[in-house]
Amino acid sequence: MSIMQYNGGCLVGMKGKNCVAIASDRRFGVQALGLSTNFQRMFSVSNRLYYGLAGLGTDVQTLSEKFRMSVNMYKLKEERDIAPTTFASLVSSTLYERRFGPYFSEPVIVGLEKDDTPFICATDLIGCINFAKDFVVTGTSSEQLYGMCEALWEPDLEPEDLFETISQAMLNAVDRDALSGWGAVVHVITPTQVITRTLKGRMD
Amino acid sequence: MARRYDSRTTIFSPEGRLYQVEYAMEAISHAGTALGILADDGIVLAAEKKVTSKLLEQSASAEKVYVLNDTMACAVAGITADANTLITYARQQAQQYLYTYGEEIPAELLVQRMCDLKQGYTQYGGLRPFGVSFLYAGWDSHFGFQLYHSDPSGNYSGWKATCIGANSSNAQSILKQDYKETGMTLANAKSLAVKVLAKTMDSTTLGSDKLEFATVSKGKDGKIAFHLFSAEEIDQLLKDENVAQFKEEES
Repeated sequence: MSIMQYNGGCLVGMKGKNCVAIASDRRFGVQALGLSTNFQRMFSVSNRLYYGLAGLGTDVQTLSEKFRMSVNMYKLKEERDIAPTTFASLVSSTLYERRFGPYFSEPVIVGLEKDDTPFICATDLIGCINFAKDFVVTGTSSEQLYGMCEALWEPDLEPEDLFETISQAMLNAVDRDALSGWGAVVHVITPTQVITRTLKGRMD
Repeated sequence: MARRYDSRTTIFSPEGRLYQVEYAMEAISHAGTALGILADDGIVLAAEKKVTSKLLEQSASAEKVYVLNDTMACAVAGITADANTLITYARQQAQQYLYTYGEEIPAELLVQRMCDLKQGYTQYGGLRPFGVSFLYAGWDSHFGFQLYHSDPSGNYSGWKATCIGANSSNAQSILKQDYKETGMTLANAKSLAVKVLAKTMDSTTLGSDKLEFATVSKGKDGKIAFHLFSAEEIDQLLKDENVAQFKEEES
């Protein structure tokens, strides 16, 4: 029984052509017992920067509240929105502060930089950043997501195609994992708008 | 006679006064005027900038009016450096409350936190008090729009309209005359603010380079909006008021 597999859940982030997408499942349970079909794992920092947290549910909630506090202070002092790379460093340092008693959560961060360049990254539970060029995955079905993404992803996908790709990767990966699934949500972020869609998937 | 009792903040004088606190308030009476007016649908904060020079980078941050969180803003009068420290503290307190309770801090509670800090500097530590007075404009779901004033002693009170800084007693008496108890809309509050500033400011001409003007109100989406007027918007507001004044003179 690993603490990272206690509640279940997973996330995937992908880069496209002038856009990024992030998807999560909606299951929250206690080992085999499923409890919620609308657990929020993804959070927005601004309309150009989103992140998600997989792992232990309580740490997902506490970390999202901690990040909200830090980003609010940042916005007030610096009088501007936080950049994706800066936010990634904030996440990394917040996690490393607890190096020897960590938060059991592994984040995925996606967003658009100031010049609209797509940005994605993920970190491990103690803050090691993985700046990926293609996709990032985390959660109890990360292995399955790696397989789906490697097979389906290609560079320079338009927002609509990126949505299809990330959705298929998520839906099929979670169907091979008992602790993930029970619904899915996808955010596609472009320079002009964010489109949020809820996917229809197997509810078993 | 007072000199023996005024160098240490933590000592009363024989007459029962805290001289350092009074000297702090004296410092504030030389600072640029700041006034706040409470309306039914929002609050107006207006302030006179003391430091103006052609060489000053105007587009850089505000000097008198600051945002504290999503539902509150404040105007300062006094030593700007002291104000900056206190504002950072207020912002941290507001975020800590949000982190702990998952809701925005009630307006009066944030004022109390600030005042408790300021009071500490009049009783412990042997450090001088903060030479700043604040006007807090905020909204919460319990009491709606509220306006508070706090001073270096750590005392605070709620106001319908008030003024701090230079010429504040003058402005206060005008506000007392002209503030309407009922039917005070944000629009009325804005014009009253301009009128009061025009009558009490030291400089002969009123311009957007000398004023900071902001409103706290509810936007169409129901969220609290803080609007810091740009130079053009201030000029427009002054024009609207001045035009009205000219018309009266002509007739």
